[in-house]
Amino acid sequence: MLFWLAAAALTLVASLAVLLPLSRQPRADADRQDVAVYRDQLAELDREAARGLIGPTEVEEARAEIGRRMIRADAATSRAAAPPRNWARVLATAAVLAVPLVGWGVYAVLGSPDLPSQPLSARLAKCQAGATVEELVGCAEAHLAANPEDGKGWDVLAPIYMRMGRSAEAAQAFANAIRLEGSTALRESGLGEALADAADGSVTPQAQDAFARALAIEPGFPKAVYYLAIASFQQGRADEAMAAWRKLAADAAPDSPWRTAANEAIAEAERRTAAAADQPGPTTQDVEAAKQMAPADQQAMIETMVASLDEKLRQNPNDPEGWLRLVRSYVVLERKDAAREAVVRAVAALGKDSDAARQVNELAASLGVTTTE
Amino acid sequence: MVEIGHFALVLALALSLVQSVVPLAGARGGNGRLMAVGGPVAVTAFAMVAVSFAALTISYGRSDFSVENVWENSHSLKPMLFKLTGTWGNHEGSMLLWVLILTLFGALVAAFGRNLPASLKATVLAVQGFIGAVFLLFILTTSNPFVRLVNPPMEGRDLNPVLQDIGLAIHPPLLYLGYVGFSVSFAFAVAALIEGRLDAAWARWVRPWTLAAWVFLTGGIAMGSYWAYYELGWGGFWFWDPVENASFMPWLAGTALLHSAIVMEKRGALKIWTVLLAILTFSLSLLGTFLVRSGVLTSVHAFATDPTRGVFILCILVLFVGGSLALFAWRAPGLTAGGLFQPISREGALVLNNLFLTTAAATVLVGTLYPLVVEAVSGEKISVGAPFFNLTFGLLMLPLLALVPFGPLLAWKRGDLAAVSQRLMAAFGLALLAALVSLIFVDGVSAFAAAGVGLSAWLILGALTDLAFKSGLGAVTAPVALRRFVGLPRSVFGTALAHLGLGLTTLGIVCVVSMQGERILVMKPGDTAEIAGYAIRFEGLEPMKGPNFTEERATFVLSRDGSPLGSMHASKRFYPARGMPTTEAGIRTLGFSQLYVSPGDIQDGGGLVVRIWWKPMVTLIWLGALVMMAGGTMSLLDRRLRVGAPSRARKAVGRPEVAAS
Repeated sequence: MLFWLAAAALTLVASLAVLLPLSRQPRADADRQDVAVYRDQLAELDREAARGLIGPTEVEEARAEIGRRMIRADAATSRAAAPPRNWARVLATAAVLAVPLVGWGVYAVLGSPDLPSQPLSARLAKCQAGATVEELVGCAEAHLAANPEDGKGWDVLAPIYMRMGRSAEAAQAFANAIRLEGSTALRESGLGEALADAADGSVTPQAQDAFARALAIEPGFPKAVYYLAIASFQQGRADEAMAAWRKLAADAAPDSPWRTAANEAIAEAERRTAAAADQPGPTTQDVEAAKQMAPADQQAMIETMVASLDEKLRQNPNDPEGWLRLVRSYVVLERKDAAREAVVRAVAALGKDSDAARQVNELAASLGVTTTE
Repeated sequence: MVEIGHFALVLALALSLVQSVVPLAGARGGNGRLMAVGGPVAVTAFAMVAVSFAALTISYGRSDFSVENVWENSHSLKPMLFKLTGTWGNHEGSMLLWVLILTLFGALVAAFGRNLPASLKATVLAVQGFIGAVFLLFILTTSNPFVRLVNPPMEGRDLNPVLQDIGLAIHPPLLYLGYVGFSVSFAFAVAALIEGRLDAAWARWVRPWTLAAWVFLTGGIAMGSYWAYYELGWGGFWFWDPVENASFMPWLAGTALLHSAIVMEKRGALKIWTVLLAILTFSLSLLGTFLVRSGVLTSVHAFATDPTRGVFILCILVLFVGGSLALFAWRAPGLTAGGLFQPISREGALVLNNLFLTTAAATVLVGTLYPLVVEAVSGEKISVGAPFFNLTFGLLMLPLLALVPFGPLLAWKRGDLAAVSQRLMAAFGLALLAALVSLIFVDGVSAFAAAGVGLSAWLILGALTDLAFKSGLGAVTAPVALRRFVGLPRSVFGTALAHLGLGLTTLGIVCVVSMQGERILVMKPGDTAEIAGYAIRFEGLEPMKGPNFTEERATFVLSRDGSPLGSMHASKRFYPARGMPTTEAGIRTLGFSQLYVSPGDIQDGGGLVVRIWWKPMVTLIWLGALVMMAGGTMSLLDRRLRVGAPSRARKAVGRPEVAAS
């Protein structure tokens, strides 16, 4: 609407620029410019003569020449204005009409009057359909930067971040959504998943807490069950993990993605357990033998095995799996100090910033072993 | 808002069409009302184009990517200044600027032309309006900056990084003010041919417009030269690039026009020649626009490559150049020739100046167009480089520069060469001395340097001699001479300043060409390079981040004889939006000379290829241009040249300095 008003105003101004001069009586034409110029020239001639730049004879000659031209210019009478004729009226009318006709005609072909201007800042505040995911995310980010208390916005954005692989931002977005919109199984498990993803797949204690909260709200929520099983497996409780996955696969609807996911997880876990059996550690026979023993002997045997593992790790410290097992073993043996020492050694051996060291630290934290750094 | 701009542009086309027909018809038919339409329509057309330009600029400022032109040439992260200057950093926007300036000049003619003969004014405005209409048609049909995108992207494609510079803010507007300013002289020339009347009032009118255009064009060329010097990282100030030549040719022709207009105004001579020069100057401006805008050249400047545009501009060129020359051939024989003069006189000197300048413009034209013709005929790509221009153009300039000091000292109509030579003896002696000093103390090898320094000194001292004699120094006592000096007409100062500036520019060019030092070496952090007595220590590279680029910034510490002179920075930038690298040279001005450091590739092991130049007196090249501009402005302020105000001009006689207000 504003555009049409402005366009009409501009057309009016443009038409008046043609119309007004045509309707006014033109002033008398003072065609006396030449004479004024020649008069200036005479004055300058005098100045130059006074400064001695030009000889007296030249002055006379030049003065005579300028005088002659002046007379010629005077003689030229200005033409009288002719009375308006028909062709002039036609031309004037055509000119007045040409402005709106050409203006609107050409604009109708070239213009896009219904497209509003779209400055970037306004577009970021209000996004339109047809944009790509990146654009929408850009819009949403700018919007949420301005309105950080918009919980619905975070709720929408979080899974999109997840799909784009931006898990750290996804975790933050889920956390914001939970803070502002309240806790649901979906949001909590989303937070857990994002946290785990951000930790390269390791289901951290924080992630576990989130899944636990999800299950508290909605028992049997598949994503939470699935991830908590991964947590169990990562902490060496393979049986527990297997049982959870089997239950998930059995409970889930036939076409549920969780059934497939659980079955794949079981297969993967079995493959890993088989691979772990090749590694040095208590063999099935050892464990069977231990079961036959008296509790004291059992304890002694376990301690011997742990000591041998400890010794092995002293000689070959670059073994992340071994360190995890050692820390877990000391905790089982309730030797917290030894566990703590093992964690410190593991971190030193694996490198402070390595993923493996972080896993060791997380395991320790999850088992209640605190180290002071 | 954007569409208002688009609509205003279309209205400007409609108004320009009216402006090109109605006043002309009025002038031919002696109808005062029709003639009177020209003024208001010209002013309104300018207002419409201004609205349009403002709308586009606002779209750039607000990163409105629904405008295709903004999306193609801007980026939301650019600093605001470069967002705004980006408006004319592309083909469409720069054409809009071109038309904005054209209509501005039309409006100025309308506003200040109250004392012009009505029919001349109407015809001039009609010619201006016709130029405007044709270019507006060109913009709307082939280069419309207001094409919209229905689904605008979130981010623009950014401007060519080389153009993201303060130079772009100044260079094109100045250049266009110059180019387009000559359209007024052209319109006057064509109007004179149509009217069949060519008199003193005509010359009195044309000269200030020519002067103003010349001042802007001088500034535009100098600015462009300095921009290329510091931005392209080669340290060259003039490349004989076709685009540079395109702006230089109108300058040469415009300089000739300026001088012949003096003769015509003062003496009524050279009328027909002046008209021809006015036509040629604007034709060369149009040719420049064609060369740059059609994409027939491929260089840094040529950012348009669309054949339909090229053909359209070629048609405009043929229409205006061919049309005006045909008109000239038809009407010129009917014009009365002016007064007579002796060969040795100021008129004679100015004719000589005109001959040299037009011949020089012709050689530049040949050198610029020859490769294009060869390419068109045989498909072979050749380039005519500096050697050709230095030989032909340089050879023509030498005698011209040597003769410059004589011109202002010669009397009108019949001059005395012997007397003038006598007056210039002191300047000649001192110039010879300067050449000898240069030969003995500065550079004993180069005779070119000595001759060049001598020639520059001759120009500078000749300009000062002119002032000294006009104020009567030596003939009268010092206080009287001082009083006379203060009372000299501004145009005398203008002439002297312009010629002095020419001398300074020549001195700068001679010094840089003959005495510059260059070193190319690989430097590791801590390394020191010596050049022209200065020690430059490379401190190291550090990564930095700009708003829309990342850079590796090299720091150099400068010292001379152990005393520190602070540090300088040079960097290699990368603009991710276009994936383009640029080099930002480090420049330190020491007196009139400059140290120029340009970083090259980074080698394995932390070494950096560094090019270091010592550019003696290089800033004089551009300072000289500034002095020339000051001279032109001074001359423009001369009351005598003030556009048609005869009653006030009479009061000003003898006391021009009072009239300056």
